[in-house]
Amino acid sequence: MKREIYKSQVKDAGTHGMLQIIKEVAFSDDPRDLGYMADNVPCQRACPASTNIPGYIRCITEGRYGRSYELNRIYNILPATLGRICSRPCEAACRHGEHDLGQSVNICHLKRAAADLKPGMHRIKEDLYAPSGKSVGVIGSGPAGIGAAHDLAVFGHNVTLYESMPEAGGMLRYGIPAFRLPRDILDLEIGNVLRLGVDLKVGVMVGHDVMMKDLLKKHDAVITTVGCMAPNSLGVDGESLDGVISGLDFMVRTNLGQPVPIGKRVIVVGDGFTAMDCARSSLRMGAQSVRINILSTEEFMPVDAHEIHEVKVEGARIYSLVTTHRIHGSQGRVEGIEFLRTRLEDTPDGRGRIAVPIENSAFVMEVDTVIAAIGQHPTVDFGQPLVMNGQRIGVQPDRFLTSVDRLYAAGDCVTGASNVISALASGRKVAQEVDERFVGRRRRTQMVRFEAAEQTDREREYDFIRPVAMPTLAVSDRFDVGENEVEKGYREVEAKRESLRCYLCSLKYEIDVSRCIYCSMCIDVAPRDCIKMISGVSENSDGTYGDYGETGNWNEVVAIAIDNKRCIRCGQCYDVCPMDCITITKTELVEVDREE
Amino acid sequence: MPKDDHYVIVGNGPAGNHAADTLRDEDPEANITIISDEKPLYYYKHRVPAYMVGGCEFEALRIRPYRIYREKSIRLRLGQRVERVVPQERCLYLKHMEKIHYTQLILAVGASGRRLPSHADFSEHLHCLAGFDDAKRVREAMMKSTRIVILGGDLVSMGLAREACKAGKEVVFILYSSLFWPVALKAEIQQNVTERLTALGVEVLVDTEPVTDVQPQEGGYRITLPDGSSLSADLVFSCFGFVPNIRFLLGSGINTEKGVLVDHMMRTNQEGIYACGDCAQIYNPEFKDYWLSVGWGNAETQGVLTAMNLLGGKSVIDYQPKEIFDMDGVTIRTSWWKSFT
Ligand SMILES: Cc1cc2nc3c(=O)[nH]c(=O)nc-3n(C[C@H](O)[C@H](O)[C@H](O)COP(=O)(O)OP(=O)(O)OC[C@H]3O[C@@H](n4cnc5c(N)ncnc54)[C@H](O)[C@@H]3O)c2cc1C
Ligand SMILES: Cc1cc2nc3c(=O)[nH]c(=O)nc-3n(C[C@H](O)[C@H](O)[C@H](O)COP(=O)(O)OP(=O)(O)OC[C@H]3O[C@@H](n4cnc5c(N)ncnc54)[C@H](O)[C@@H]3O)c2cc1C
Ligand code: SF4
Ligand code: SF4
Ligand code: SF4
Repeated sequence: MKREIYKSQVKDAGTHGMLQIIKEVAFSDDPRDLGYMADNVPCQRACPASTNIPGYIRCITEGRYGRSYELNRIYNILPATLGRICSRPCEAACRHGEHDLGQSVNICHLKRAAADLKPGMHRIKEDLYAPSGKSVGVIGSGPAGIGAAHDLAVFGHNVTLYESMPEAGGMLRYGIPAFRLPRDILDLEIGNVLRLGVDLKVGVMVGHDVMMKDLLKKHDAVITTVGCMAPNSLGVDGESLDGVISGLDFMVRTNLGQPVPIGKRVIVVGDGFTAMDCARSSLRMGAQSVRINILSTEEFMPVDAHEIHEVKVEGARIYSLVTTHRIHGSQGRVEGIEFLRTRLEDTPDGRGRIAVPIENSAFVMEVDTVIAAIGQHPTVDFGQPLVMNGQRIGVQPDRFLTSVDRLYAAGDCVTGASNVISALASGRKVAQEVDERFVGRRRRTQMVRFEAAEQTDREREYDFIRPVAMPTLAVSDRFDVGENEVEKGYREVEAKRESLRCYLCSLKYEIDVSRCIYCSMCIDVAPRDCIKMISGVSENSDGTYGDYGETGNWNEVVAIAIDNKRCIRCGQCYDVCPMDCITITKTELVEVDREE
Repeated sequence: MPKDDHYVIVGNGPAGNHAADTLRDEDPEANITIISDEKPLYYYKHRVPAYMVGGCEFEALRIRPYRIYREKSIRLRLGQRVERVVPQERCLYLKHMEKIHYTQLILAVGASGRRLPSHADFSEHLHCLAGFDDAKRVREAMMKSTRIVILGGDLVSMGLAREACKAGKEVVFILYSSLFWPVALKAEIQQNVTERLTALGVEVLVDTEPVTDVQPQEGGYRITLPDGSSLSADLVFSCFGFVPNIRFLLGSGINTEKGVLVDHMMRTNQEGIYACGDCAQIYNPEFKDYWLSVGWGNAETQGVLTAMNLLGGKSVIDYQPKEIFDMDGVTIRTSWWKSFT
């Protein structure tokens, strides 16, 4: 396995002054090192775009907001946007949120802080490749389309974006409401992508205004990222009554500025992002009572706790364990919904839950408007037969190629309704595939960068800082101008305080066994069982390291080792070791050019 | 020979104690442990307001001495919070990371004060009253105070208002009739409640909900009403009933909604784990709705029933309301609230 070490050339030259500052840096693509990163920086692993989270958080601590923003942009292209509306899989994985360690770092709020606090007109960096002369058509300008267009443009290809709506952005613009994502922010970040020479054609519906076969003739490759634009129906009687509307239509029309008549009593059916946004938008449009009716319970809702909190603060009520049975009405207008209560049953693996209707539990709630936000699926109507995967577009796993040569697909139209960061990441991945097709090889690869660190960069007291809440607009100020952004963003002090909470899991603590005298002082000061007496380490079949064989018996101890999966980078052991045998290395997952 | 069974009960209120006593009566051999995060021995909650205003000392609240536990050989671990339950391993973790194994587990963890989402911006300035710890925290300030404001209400807040008046405080009660707990007040009952409170000497404000702000000011708090006017107080209480203490169970695999979801035999979805008392939530076929258990009497009954079922019984919970509750002269039909007179 390749384990290259690039050492600084000047190290042994006996020089002083400037040259001494240059540190030793090593790069590796050894699977053990890549595996180490995946295990040890859980937030980065959980991020579909592999954002270097500890890296950008550290920049915020240092007050380098522009750098923090750019570091984000390398991975996720739209930091100010995602810093507001990302579904935050990273926070669910954050080490600080482990059971005995408190709560996750507010990673997403910090992303936004970098964007908000960066200096005006800071420098944007793009490493552009030479033009290739190849042309790619991308259909749909949602996060997947934007991600693909950006990377293809960087790779030097000519990109044309076809979008049926009046403006670019997909669900970022026509799904997510302005009070969560101000449009000037979105315009600015999409503008930064279009500036790379991407040709945006709006108001073009592929399959209607232009045919897929013509696009395939015109471009060397075509990518569809058409998302999920067709709402799922409830499939119950009364769905076609006046006053029943789908959540997606409701949001799209609201975001287009079209009037949507709603009554005083609104019931939203569904538990996802769309349902939350419909409820909050209804309140802004003057609804007096808004209820969100969900099949199971809040614990299993696919939106994060902040979102649930806000929707309640604004006055909506969540009503769990109910399923829609039928919709009542008279003279063509809705009057009430008949629900059945449900009870939860375990799925066979015991991890999920199914909501099962309870017999004889029907009851009716009176209502003026029903918004059914129970998911959506793709509309694939290009005048081009495609092999489908159920309602979604079928592709070769990890290769994004559809059943038609040179036609690729990514984003929600492949995965089903997901979230912005997953769609964006898949757009970036499909760009790599298409580039490989043109160039004949992968041009970028992931490596682990190692750099010695002289200090822990952390104080133990940081571990006890309580999460800094996002300042929000007073509820009374939210409704007059419905577009007013609800979350106000951290100020500098708040951003810094929150940033200090991050353990910086990218710091690797190691014990140099050759110097260790087994005094076990480090074990005595450790805050948890992070340092172990071990008898051996197993290796996984893919070459990565497995678990430590632990022992309590001194005769078997071959080493004292730090379990970086348990380590919270508190620095206690580093400070106490009498032999100075604990080293700290800064690790970083980087994308680098592959040599030809 | 002692058995290896270890019955663990989390919660030292009426549900937990009745469950423990029943288990001991029925199974003289078993290891029984009660764990609770509150330090005091089993006490009467309805006397907590009196204690808080300085009307009595803790001894007047205590239900039974420690000796009883020794005699019954029920192990008490007080002041220790359960942080996490792992049903797959049949164990739980305490706050200080100690791991405790159980063979059967009863969750009788009760409830805490419900806070209104509309008060979120200033909730740190509001006091709740769900037990001894809450009372102890404000007791000193309460004894020094001359004027308190209660935002409410619920059945508990009326006891609080009464005791505060008795102790010579000025009491202002801002009545949120649509949010009264456990049931919204109908006009007629609201009238009745207002009259009762007024008779006690309480100043009752209706139609001023929800207050828009509560902020500290010199020596107390300023409460801003929706019309822009304001009042001041030494302490502000928020009394809107209770929400079950289920936060520590999220992610454990035990099903919860507002409370711990149990069937009519008080079983959760996890083998060997039961719940009873204020933390339990049951589907009630009479009302075609899920109901949270409320009140002392109900906690006692459920504690006994749960213990019997844990030992192999097949008793089913009775859904019918047992008591018509008379609270300071106001008759409120709730199920299971016990009147201590
Ligand atoms: C109301 C709502 C709120 C949401 N909130 C969040 C959130 O807070 N966080 C989060 O992570 N996710 C959220 N999501 C989900 C997220 O928006 C989507 O998962 C994501 O946008 C999918 O990206 P995409 O690029 O695959 O598709 P889309 O964003 O749906 O973009 C598809 C684009 O293709 C265009 N298009 C479709 N067909 C054609 C055609 N034939 N010709 C030309 N153009 C076409 C569409 O007009 C659209 O612009 C929300 C979704 C909705 C509906
Ligand atoms: C001020 C006041 C007055 C009341 N007056 C009346 C009345 O007049 N009539 C009436 O019928 N009812 C009254 N009630 C309600 C009654 O007290 C409750 O319904 C009853 O106490 C519920 O009993 P329980 O055993 O379910 O829970 P609780 O008595 O609440 O006991 C639960 C215990 O579990 C502990 N606990 C919670 N989580 C954990 C954890 N994670 N780890 C360890 N321990 C934990 C709690 O600290 C608590 O000690 C009153 C309540 C209050 C607060
Ligand atoms: S503590 Fe920091 S580096 Fe570690 S998982 Fe959380 S956000 Fe990532
Ligand atoms: S403190 Fe240092 S010398 Fe002592 S056991 Fe730990 S690593 Fe070894
Ligand atoms: S820095 Fe050392 S003491 Fe601190 S958590 Fe990591 S291994 Fe343990």
